[in-house]
Amino acid sequence: MRRHNISRRGFLKLAGASSVAITAGITGLPSPLKASAKQEATRGARFLKYDRGVESPSFCEMCFWNCGVNVYTRKGVIHKLEGNKLNPNNRGHLCAKGNAGIQSTYDADRIQSPLIRTGKRGEGKFKKVSWEEAYKYVYKKLNPLIDEFGPETLATFMHGTGEPYPHMLTMAIGSPNITIPAYSQCMGSREMAWALTFGTGVSGHETFDMSNSKHMIIFGRNMAGSVQVREAEDFAEGLARGSRLTYIDPRQSESAVRATDWLQINPGTDMALALGFIHVIIRDNLANMDFARKYCYGYNELSKHIKKYTPKWASEKTGIDAKTIERIAWEFAKDAPNVVAIPARRMTRYGNDTQTVRAIAILNALMGNWGVPGGIFIRSKVPVNFPKEELPDAPDARRADGVGEGEKYPLAPTSLGRTNGIYEATLTKKPYPIKAWILYGTNPLSHSSIGVNNLYKAIDNLELLIAIDTQFSDTVMYADVIFPESTYLERYDAPFVQKDKTPFIALRKPAVKPIYDTKGCFEICKGIAKEFDLDDWFEKSPKEQVEELSQVLSKEQMETLEKDGVLLFEDVDPYPNASGSALNFSTSTGKVQLYVKDLEEMAKKQGDDFSPLPVYKDPVMPKEGEFRMLFGRTPHHSHARSQNNWVLLELQDDTPVWMNPKDAKKMGFKDGDMVSLVNAKTEHKSDHSERLKVTKRIKEGSVFIHHGFGHTTKAWTRGYEKGTKENWFISDGVDPLSGAAAFHNGFVKVVKA
Amino acid sequence: MSLIHKKTKKQKNLAMVIVGDRCIGCDACYVSCKTDWDVPAMKEAFRTKVFEVEGEDVHGNPTIGFLPTLCNHCDNAPCVDVCPTGASFKRDEDGIVLVEPDMCIGCKACMVACPYDARYYNEEEQTVDKCTFCLPRISNGLDPACVATCVGESRNFGDLNDTNSNVSKMLKDATSVYKLKEDEGTSPNVYYVTLNY
Repeated sequence: MRRHNISRRGFLKLAGASSVAITAGITGLPSPLKASAKQEATRGARFLKYDRGVESPSFCEMCFWNCGVNVYTRKGVIHKLEGNKLNPNNRGHLCAKGNAGIQSTYDADRIQSPLIRTGKRGEGKFKKVSWEEAYKYVYKKLNPLIDEFGPETLATFMHGTGEPYPHMLTMAIGSPNITIPAYSQCMGSREMAWALTFGTGVSGHETFDMSNSKHMIIFGRNMAGSVQVREAEDFAEGLARGSRLTYIDPRQSESAVRATDWLQINPGTDMALALGFIHVIIRDNLANMDFARKYCYGYNELSKHIKKYTPKWASEKTGIDAKTIERIAWEFAKDAPNVVAIPARRMTRYGNDTQTVRAIAILNALMGNWGVPGGIFIRSKVPVNFPKEELPDAPDARRADGVGEGEKYPLAPTSLGRTNGIYEATLTKKPYPIKAWILYGTNPLSHSSIGVNNLYKAIDNLELLIAIDTQFSDTVMYADVIFPESTYLERYDAPFVQKDKTPFIALRKPAVKPIYDTKGCFEICKGIAKEFDLDDWFEKSPKEQVEELSQVLSKEQMETLEKDGVLLFEDVDPYPNASGSALNFSTSTGKVQLYVKDLEEMAKKQGDDFSPLPVYKDPVMPKEGEFRMLFGRTPHHSHARSQNNWVLLELQDDTPVWMNPKDAKKMGFKDGDMVSLVNAKTEHKSDHSERLKVTKRIKEGSVFIHHGFGHTTKAWTRGYEKGTKENWFISDGVDPLSGAAAFHNGFVKVVKA
Repeated sequence: MSLIHKKTKKQKNLAMVIVGDRCIGCDACYVSCKTDWDVPAMKEAFRTKVFEVEGEDVHGNPTIGFLPTLCNHCDNAPCVDVCPTGASFKRDEDGIVLVEPDMCIGCKACMVACPYDARYYNEEEQTVDKCTFCLPRISNGLDPACVATCVGESRNFGDLNDTNSNVSKMLKDATSVYKLKEDEGTSPNVYYVTLNY
């Protein structure tokens, strides 16, 4: 990665390999030139001026974390983004991606006007049209499909702050098929497991109190390398204050390097390790029994269940020494309750993900760390009565993605849906044909669950593909009609209201007028809705929603919000357990469910995957000569959306294939060889060759690449065909409980390019 | 403020103190700096950069370290010594090393002389460019761009002549302090420390 990008200005020189590279002729220097008196007098004067420009409030949209941002413009041009010091999501800091937000706006590769496809799908031929033409096109194409197949033939995928508007449009049209990939492509299994145990999810802004922790056990959540700013800050702060870190990952990530113990676990066996820890804690009477007696349901069932999961057993499964498992369990319990066990965020891995996180949730519960500093803090709502928005009635039609009562995934939330389920339904036309998609800020071809081959086929089954986005993407290129959205620096959005440790409201106002012929998502969806005579649902624009705050906030609060861009509500207690308040859990038993009674019936009918206590099952394994395909985040890019950003491309523009030295030796490869990946199941071979990075940082039997690269849209003049698209090589599994995807059972062959 | 070239003792001794193990390698500093100072869009052009250093410990286990680098604003600055025009100079009042673009003839002698590889040639401006400790920002009450954005709060900036400054306290409390290539006699003003909380 970076090390190999260094050309002239190399680390070698820094490390002491005396003046390499630069040999610009010292000997050929011109004779000393005497500076004039005027030059002498003004030398350096320019460096004392700094025009900060005009400040306007916003929050970041380079990823989903939404850090507070102050935007500075000089003469109508954005000059600099700075973190808002008062915003709890980032406390004044921005990551590389956040700092690079300006480039997303001033990018000539953006979609610059509404477009209608003229060539074949995916060919990239579009004609520029007016907004009216684009709206009318949608009506003309979509209305006959609704007549023929019913409104549920429309499915909508959403990612971004403008989500409420495609949601409203789809509901008003009458389709239930609204999905947010953050569930089934990302956090679904984690949230489900937490909800079954504690009655609430971890939430998108995680509730792990790392800065106060004495011991964090982290199961493959790359806190330092994923850079959701507050989490990365808390992680660094906790470690600086002396917290132990047990970090579990087959790959040595940016977080693993800071660990007291980095456990290079066999992939897919995290549950076995968690069960091993639990065994030791119960066997040696290390659980917080005050908490267990008062708040937990099913301790006795758990103690019986856990007997078979000995450290010796866990060691055989995980490849981690049994003594280490015992020691870490003891150390963890010793520092309880100011300890926390943290599951991965993108918990779409091995198909046992919900039950794996269940085991991790139990590990926390046994420490009694709920509502305690250094454990799990409690979020509070913003104590303001916002005006209730009227929503269309829930559509009658059954969902196409298997979510809902009586369906295959009855526990999955209808509010989020299963993106993977919609892909399948579109492909198989079951339970009914899906003929139209709206993509809002999503790019399934770069991150999905049914394989790129199948996704192309699914797209073939569509009569209408509508895209709303700020930029092109591999999937937007397949759209029939494209609506260009203004970037977050060019538009209003509804007030950002966050339930949190310190709840808050944040503002986003446009720092500049739209550079191209673009609109906000609200205006776009309202424009489409108007064609269907449904625009009455779009009552208040984001700007009006911001202005309306003055009706529910006091004058002082309003002034603070306008001045600071954020309004905090600090009179809350994130640690009610520590301060002696009683705890409430909105589970069916009203307790922390070590044993989930709700699952008993499903377990009887459908087996161990649904067990009220986590039952371990071995992961599927690659055949001889194949490798497990692992992928994960780089600190320098977000999702598959930032790989055309010039400054982020300077930081990373390729995806070397990581391979363990033992595997490389077996294969006859050496570091730096150019290789390609071949999907062992579909035999798809990557069009792109990659440099092999031979490193002990990846476990034997697995290869690793970074996520988000390998874009095939030529509309991206900088990011085009940089790196490998992992989406070709991941598995199409499903977690039976949550219905979320399982990506890490994909196997590849590695061949010389 | 009086400007330049008065041979007085430094009123301020500006320094960067980097807490090594708080750097998470996110490179926010790189982007913040490039954006604020319009550093050209090419990999070779930067005023600060974080290096990822892979190695092995004594047991043969892999290790990574992150090394943030920038101009060291040396007290004995080789770049200043070799500059034929006086474009590269060290401010008497606070020790900041600058390049005055109007006086730079682009000979690049300073780039050769700098043992830290802290300078690059700006093709657009036809001048050598480098970190200024964000003099324009600090002159106007702001932190340097890299410090302001540092996610791990690894980077700290201040005046070592002020015993109450954050950086002075950090150096006092540090369990280890090192500077890059001190053996070259440059007396750098960027410190890498380990703290014990």
